[in-house]
Amino acid sequence: MSKRKAPQESLNEGITDFLVELANYEKNVNRAIHKYNAYRKAASTIAKYPNKIRNGEEAKKLDGVGAKIAEKIDEFLQTGKLRKLEKIRNDDTSSSINFLTRVTGIGPAAARKFFDEGVKTLEDLKKIEHKLNHHQQIGLKYFEEFEKRIPRAEMEKMETLILGELKEIDTEYIGTICGSYRRGAASSGDIDILLTHPDYTSQTEKQPKLLHAVVNHLESIGFVTDTLSKGDTKFMGVCQLQPSDEDEEEYLHRRIDIRLIPKDQYYCGVLYFTGSDIFNKNMRTHALEKGFTLNEYTIRPLGVTGMAGEPLLVDSERDIFEYIHYKYREPKDRSE
Amino acid sequence: MPEIKIKHVVSCSTEDNTHKADNLLSSDTYRKWKAARPGEKQTSVILQLEKEEQVHSIDIGNEGSAFIEVLVGNSSAVRDQDYEVLLVMSSFMSPTESRNGTNMNRVRFFGPNQLQKSTAQEKWDRVKIVCSQPYSKNIAYGLAFVKFHSPPDKDDPPSTASPKLTKLGQFKMKDESPSSGPSLQPGSLFFSRDSATKSSPSLKVSPQSEKLSYAAAALQAGGTTHSPGQASSSTSASPQPPAKRKFEFSKERQSVPGPPPSKKISPAGSPEGKAATPKHKPSPASTPSPSAAKASLAQKSADKKRESQSKSGPKPKQQKAKSEGAQQVPFNRIMEGVVFVLSGFQNPFRGELREKALDMGAKYRPDWTPDSTHLICAFANTPKYSQVKSAGGIIVRKEWVMDCHKRKQKISYKQYLMDGAESSSESEMEVDDQSEEEMNTKTPQKQERQITPKKTLEKRKEDDDEYAGSTDVDEPGGDDESAVDTEDELQRVENENRQKKAAAEVKMVKEEDPYGGSTDENTDAEAEEDHPIPELPDFLSGKHFFLYGKFPNNERRLMLRYIIAFNGVIEDYMTEKVQFVVTSEGWHDSFEDALMENGNLNFVKPAWIYAINERQKMLPYQPYSVVP
Repeated sequence: MSKRKAPQESLNEGITDFLVELANYEKNVNRAIHKYNAYRKAASTIAKYPNKIRNGEEAKKLDGVGAKIAEKIDEFLQTGKLRKLEKIRNDDTSSSINFLTRVTGIGPAAARKFFDEGVKTLEDLKKIEHKLNHHQQIGLKYFEEFEKRIPRAEMEKMETLILGELKEIDTEYIGTICGSYRRGAASSGDIDILLTHPDYTSQTEKQPKLLHAVVNHLESIGFVTDTLSKGDTKFMGVCQLQPSDEDEEEYLHRRIDIRLIPKDQYYCGVLYFTGSDIFNKNMRTHALEKGFTLNEYTIRPLGVTGMAGEPLLVDSERDIFEYIHYKYREPKDRSE
Repeated sequence: MPEIKIKHVVSCSTEDNTHKADNLLSSDTYRKWKAARPGEKQTSVILQLEKEEQVHSIDIGNEGSAFIEVLVGNSSAVRDQDYEVLLVMSSFMSPTESRNGTNMNRVRFFGPNQLQKSTAQEKWDRVKIVCSQPYSKNIAYGLAFVKFHSPPDKDDPPSTASPKLTKLGQFKMKDESPSSGPSLQPGSLFFSRDSATKSSPSLKVSPQSEKLSYAAAALQAGGTTHSPGQASSSTSASPQPPAKRKFEFSKERQSVPGPPPSKKISPAGSPEGKAATPKHKPSPASTPSPSAAKASLAQKSADKKRESQSKSGPKPKQQKAKSEGAQQVPFNRIMEGVVFVLSGFQNPFRGELREKALDMGAKYRPDWTPDSTHLICAFANTPKYSQVKSAGGIIVRKEWVMDCHKRKQKISYKQYLMDGAESSSESEMEVDDQSEEEMNTKTPQKQERQITPKKTLEKRKEDDDEYAGSTDVDEPGGDDESAVDTEDELQRVENENRQKKAAAEVKMVKEEDPYGGSTDENTDAEAEEDHPIPELPDFLSGKHFFLYGKFPNNERRLMLRYIIAFNGVIEDYMTEKVQFVVTSEGWHDSFEDALMENGNLNFVKPAWIYAINERQKMLPYQPYSVVP
């Protein structure tokens, strides 16, 4: 998941922006994931709302907007700002922690730790570089580059390159670039690849070779430049496109994740990693209503006692929708 | 693998006029059970088995259902909640097949590996089958047939596996080579959408499915019940319970690396309080009873215990768990050997919990692995919960970690077991092993203790042989103590069973177990080394006792201990030998009948025994008589 979500563009941009900011504050500084989710949900329904919101009362009718958020919307619409947000922005602690978490490898917990040690800025971080782990060092090294969003055109180029290389290694590889890119976003924060191979299912042994072959190959052609972590099923690293001719401007370093998923769990994974996270939540809720439990690995029917049944066969994303009587939504329509 | 006979249909949600649920009783597969109307969201049928049986495998012939789930229960249970899942919701038709009405009669075989382990190990006499078909409103669906098989006899040759042609009712299954097993997975048919027009009931899988390598765990339907592969698993399934116990056993050992605590615990929480501690601690051990009789008793109890694997009632467990209550271990080793998985916790709490456990020396796994020992679960029915439950792992609440951490003590996880879902027989089984284990491990443990009351020497020897433990004679009373202990536990349990005590109450009593508490075993042991166990008085020699009715709190146990300590004999049943009936419930009408049978009977209050203990001499019972 990318560190930064693409900014929302809608009639109520002002409102959604401050909600997202509040959400991030709750997540990064207070580590209150539920408040984060609540703000995000409100922001998402408001983003979909076709009219310009005039007051909190109007917003309150929307799903996920309660009294407190409506109050904040009123304040924002009337005064143009939000005292809570002002306070947060002026608060040294939260702004520093929020900032530190923008470095990949530094999450809310590490950010809090560094902050307690007096580290507040990028410069401070550079001074204590020896204290950072490998992942965080890379995050620091490419901080500015990782902050830049990846234009869709570049994503497409990378997709072509990667899928082409996969075929080079083994024609049976199946790869999908997930994330907001798959949902048609104009720009992405990072590149997230789901990989599978018919030889690898949840019944077989783990096959790290399948992942490592791909990573090694991408390294050998100079696409993958750094490794943040490499496990049996998940690779996290840095990649960079090579300019195709001399005149072209050099591409930036980008964050890349590659996950190897058993074939039988692949489409649940693709669905999950395509998101959006809010769409996923809604879909899971719907699944439960229909008597199924859906996660990033499997979809299983629920028995009369609530015990999950055997994983159902899934050979496409559509299968999952079909099982739970959910109207199929193209990836581009899942950005709710 | 004998087939379990179905006696009759108890009830069904609905049935078709021609395709009645009774059809399931006959083996003719053209006679099936269907719901009365198409489009019912769910249908179910409850079947009565001829007798209580363990279900080893199930064969199901579908009739239009998309999913089928099999639950088991006992005829004494009426409510839905009393059914436990034996076979989780399993898929028989894909949505497309359901809509097109194709492959309506798929047959699947579920071997022991696909059934819920904990449920499959118990005996049941009722089966509830739930079918659902959410994808088609036009099919009246149900079952074509269902067959249950009990575990194969040990001497049953695995030859059942060899026939090339298996007859299943009207179906004939041609057995294929094991390698083609996967092709028989009915699920793989879901892929053959291009051939979906095929409307004939498909028993064999279309060839193209062989290429498809789908392998969702549960869909590993294992081809046929009669394939060689399956057979090997079924023959190996008969020793399954022992294997399982072994597993628990080793786990137990892992999680309790410290010295197995002795059963000898001061009744610290008992009404008498600490006063009783030094005097009576050794009581059961050095019971001055005629050794031979005693030994045979102990032996009997041991035998009984073995037999009573599953039906011995929950009592011993609790006692055991409690006695294991807390142990002193270096902080960073409190949870040594624990490999845990978390489920249902949100950060930041999740992180804190994990930190705590890691600090105490536990190992963390993000997902359940074969080496994992404990699942720490926020609430039941998380996916991991079901997974671990079926894998037979230990599921505990977070308080286990929190309390260990807070008290800086190793606390047995048993008090923190995630409730309800754990099958009782499983845990009992575990307990039995443990007590057995304890007897063995205890042997060397106690060797340092001295003072061998002469009376028990012979007996102890026998016990040693009995448990094939150390034959070291120097070792004092350890074995027989635990034997006696277990014995009176057993007696207690039996009595309770007889009296049909409400389970809830049993639980309550257990919780108040004065021996529970956090007794520090080590100190105990040390103390004993310094202070030889005193001889016990024989106040009650030759007197036979029977404990009647309920006793508040843990009085029953105290009674048993005192009586045994004073060399009285406890009778399990109301026999003619009984002279004293101890009851705390006052006069009961049945006492009159008992007096008619045996005029020598005396009904006394527990206070008598207490008084004897307090005064340390024999007292007349008359002041303590219970009168109408």
